[in-house]
Amino acid sequence: MISGIGSEQRTHREERGAVAGPAARRRRDTLAAYLFLSPTILLFLVFIAGPLVGALVLSLYDWDLFGTPKYVGLDNFSKIPDDPKARAAITNTFVFTFWSVVLHIGLGLMLALAVQRGMPAMLRYFLRTAYFFPLLVSWAAVSLIWAYILDPNFGFITYYLSKMGLDAPAFLIDPAWAMPAVIAVDLWRTIGFTFIILLAGLQGIPEHLYEAASVDGAGALRRCWNITIPMLSPTLFFASVITFIGAFQIFEPMFIMTRGGPGNATRSIVMHVYETGFRRFDMGYASALALIVFVVIKVVTLLQIGLSRYWVFHE
Amino acid sequence: MNSTTPDTAMAETPPPYRPSRLRRLRDGNWALNLLLIALALLMFVPFYWMIVNSLLPREKAFALPPEWFPREITLNNYREVFNLIPFGRLIFNSLKLTTIITVGSVTISTLAAYAFARLSFPGRDLLFIIMLSALMVPQQVTVIPTFILIKNLGLLDTHESIYLPGLINVFGTFLLRQFFLTIPRDLEDAAKLDGAGHLRILANVIVPLAAPAISALAIFTALAAWNEFFWANVFLTSPDKMTLPVGLVMISGRFGSGSPVVILAALSMIVIPLLILFSIAQRRITEGVAMTGLRG
Repeated sequence: MISGIGSEQRTHREERGAVAGPAARRRRDTLAAYLFLSPTILLFLVFIAGPLVGALVLSLYDWDLFGTPKYVGLDNFSKIPDDPKARAAITNTFVFTFWSVVLHIGLGLMLALAVQRGMPAMLRYFLRTAYFFPLLVSWAAVSLIWAYILDPNFGFITYYLSKMGLDAPAFLIDPAWAMPAVIAVDLWRTIGFTFIILLAGLQGIPEHLYEAASVDGAGALRRCWNITIPMLSPTLFFASVITFIGAFQIFEPMFIMTRGGPGNATRSIVMHVYETGFRRFDMGYASALALIVFVVIKVVTLLQIGLSRYWVFHE
Repeated sequence: MNSTTPDTAMAETPPPYRPSRLRRLRDGNWALNLLLIALALLMFVPFYWMIVNSLLPREKAFALPPEWFPREITLNNYREVFNLIPFGRLIFNSLKLTTIITVGSVTISTLAAYAFARLSFPGRDLLFIIMLSALMVPQQVTVIPTFILIKNLGLLDTHESIYLPGLINVFGTFLLRQFFLTIPRDLEDAAKLDGAGHLRILANVIVPLAAPAISALAIFTALAAWNEFFWANVFLTSPDKMTLPVGLVMISGRFGSGSPVVILAALSMIVIPLLILFSIAQRRITEGVAMTGLRG
């Protein structure tokens, strides 16, 4: 389409530009580059870099969004340990993240290994669809559905458990069970992600490595340990980084299913940021809490990258 | 014989290389296949329960034990969705924002990725490093200052407050840049000799060759925008502006225990088309995940 009208003319102009030498070419490339980048740079400054600096500054102030901001130095950070809600939120977020990473990687790997075996193509298609599908449904919808399913009065899980003679807890209301329930719902929704990328990683391992190992008499366990794990380690590394970053920012299932309760049993850091900032309008303190999320994510990710030298295998 | 697990069977004695046995162990373990099928069906149970209950008359829904295979069904709850909830409005808002964000951010990312991958200009590496370092800035950090900015611009409770920040996708930009770098340059050299400018090279050479990566990015941008909750929940307050996820959560709270069946009917109307779409396009979407590492 673009090449249609006036392409003759343009050809001439461009040729002259090319003849004009490398300096003119470089100038033209620079102009083109900054034109192409201008929306990105503008949006980056306004919606990422600016707000990041803004959050750093805000975290040093006490401000309720309406009055005059008051400089308080690092008070917003030093009061975090004295805030029982923040303490609960930090502990909960680490607990949630730990189980999220362990279960998503562990079960995702088991599922991927199981589906990777030879099986009819139709069956594999069905299994991939089933395990992955919940990930496409919004957290809002998933949380609402599960809030009904886990309801102590009309939820069927509690009903069947008590039919089986088990003392069924009221999952979302019982302080001991609310967090495990949220962890389980999150696992159900997002297991498809680690499953799919680990499956793709497994499919990328050349078959001849296994055949060679079999000829050498290596058993299934030895093959798994000496071939599968090293060859899969870059994918495992990537999956654990992404799962960690996602889990540490968990918000919706708590916000929708439990409102952080009972008590503070399922309050996550991001939920605490949300309530501090947009319910109590304590903008400075909310910024300080949000920066904690950022710093933890950054530090743990860098740590994971640093440690990857010792276990991630690169060809 | 097939019931022995591969582990124990293979670990006993180092077996001589016998392909037939190896293949039998890998293909034939139907016990494990049945377990996988059972697990897959369990994954669907919440959706199935939702759909079945949404089709039951109100007095029969949520019965215990649940009526898994109902004899009489009704579409009344679906009709009520449109009476009780501004459902059409929510769908329209979500579609509108998803379209703007997907088309806008993919276009903007493509342009930037081309500049980073193909053009040499002063400040490129510095700019690249600055953006790379911002890759992990979570939205909870930016949401508070952005809220203040949006408030001062008088844009609170507008769709602009959702799609303007949604137009930049740093991760998408890097993804496309990496992909563009893998495209051989000779193809463009030919176009350059024909006198094509950068916009034409991008549109006629790079974009068609990078179509798998760009469409994967578009699919996941659309999914993320369609499902987005955190940001819209902060910025949108009036029901006629809300997106589907925020509106449904708000309504389910307001009506409380009054009509969960209607909420289930509304949820079914979102989930069923998604399920049909995904059953058809599963391979494309999951390959997109594997290729890009995007989670939607």
